[in-house]
Amino acid sequence: MKNIIVKANAGALTNFEVLDLLNSRGASKDTTRVIASETVSRSEYKVYDYLMETAASTQTRESVTKFSDKCKDFKLAKAEILNIINLRPSSDVELTPILEKPDEREIDIEGILALVQELLPPLPTVEAQKENEQEETENDEQS
Amino acid sequence: MFCLSELEDTVRVPPDLLKLPLEVAIKKVLQKLFLDKVFSLTFFLLSIGLCLFIYDIKSAEGGFVLPGDGAPTYKVVFIIVVFRPFVGEVIAARFKESDSNGLRLTLGFFEDIYVPAPLIPRPNRCEPDPCNRNQMRWVWIFEEQEYIIDDSYQINFRVENISYPPVPTERAEDAKLFAPMVITGAIDDDGLGPVSWWEGCSERNNEDDDT
Repeated sequence: MKNIIVKANAGALTNFEVLDLLNSRGASKDTTRVIASETVSRSEYKVYDYLMETAASTQTRESVTKFSDKCKDFKLAKAEILNIINLRPSSDVELTPILEKPDEREIDIEGILALVQELLPPLPTVEAQKENEQEETENDEQS
Repeated sequence: MFCLSELEDTVRVPPDLLKLPLEVAIKKVLQKLFLDKVFSLTFFLLSIGLCLFIYDIKSAEGGFVLPGDGAPTYKVVFIIVVFRPFVGEVIAARFKESDSNGLRLTLGFFEDIYVPAPLIPRPNRCEPDPCNRNQMRWVWIFEEQEYIIDDSYQINFRVENISYPPVPTERAEDAKLFAPMVITGAIDDDGLGPVSWWEGCSERNNEDDDT
């Protein structure tokens, strides 16, 4: 068997960073994706399709970085910040499963939700997903 | 749920790829070895996760041709993007199928997510699916309202466990395709399960939200 050595398990990535990576390799939503297939494999497209339906598809590098920075004021763990960025919760009940023992840690839930609302773009709506033109304009705005 | 892993491996580049720039040739060989496959036991013993794509090649040394071989071999250090969720992570997935043991969810690129019956909110009941004779359907009963679990909405689940089953030496003809990585998920908590269950809550909490 091959002698594969793991040197380091470096860096967790947010969904946004992975989507950004795929975008920079030429992945796109339009039907002519066969052109990009030289650089983007089938498995990469499956990941791309998944991510385009999540909060990552409307996020920008600036908003994600700003949000992570501001999160430091809220005493959140790295994993929790990652989860929040990936899921973009918009209510108390969506945020609670992400946090570990929020009551014991006196977490400012309202504050976090307000920050999410302020800095992270809203989730892609179902209607927007169905309309291809709207998707492409959103992509243009992001890039 | 994604992270970068740095690996080192020896890569043999077949002669027909040598006309390409070295980095491109090595990338092609690596992609063929690692991607689009359910595979290599070694990866999961090392608990790397599901390898998705090559992020970067850090270095490639060597290029020696071993006796009797027409192809050069390189020692390559490269970085791949892997799918490796952590326990406690909440992930958005879609319904794939369900049976009397529980639900199966999918992310498109990864389909072995199982929510066993005990992690489906109670009280619930399991009944034959009227739309699909082969399947069972799960229904959560809360305050006399029935909430069906099906594929109409995205389903958020929390990762409870990740296991890497050993490769079976023998398999029955009709056994399911071997899954080297299996995620066990839970949907029995606030905010988990189909997102439609909680939509009412966010409307009530954030009245100035323009959805």
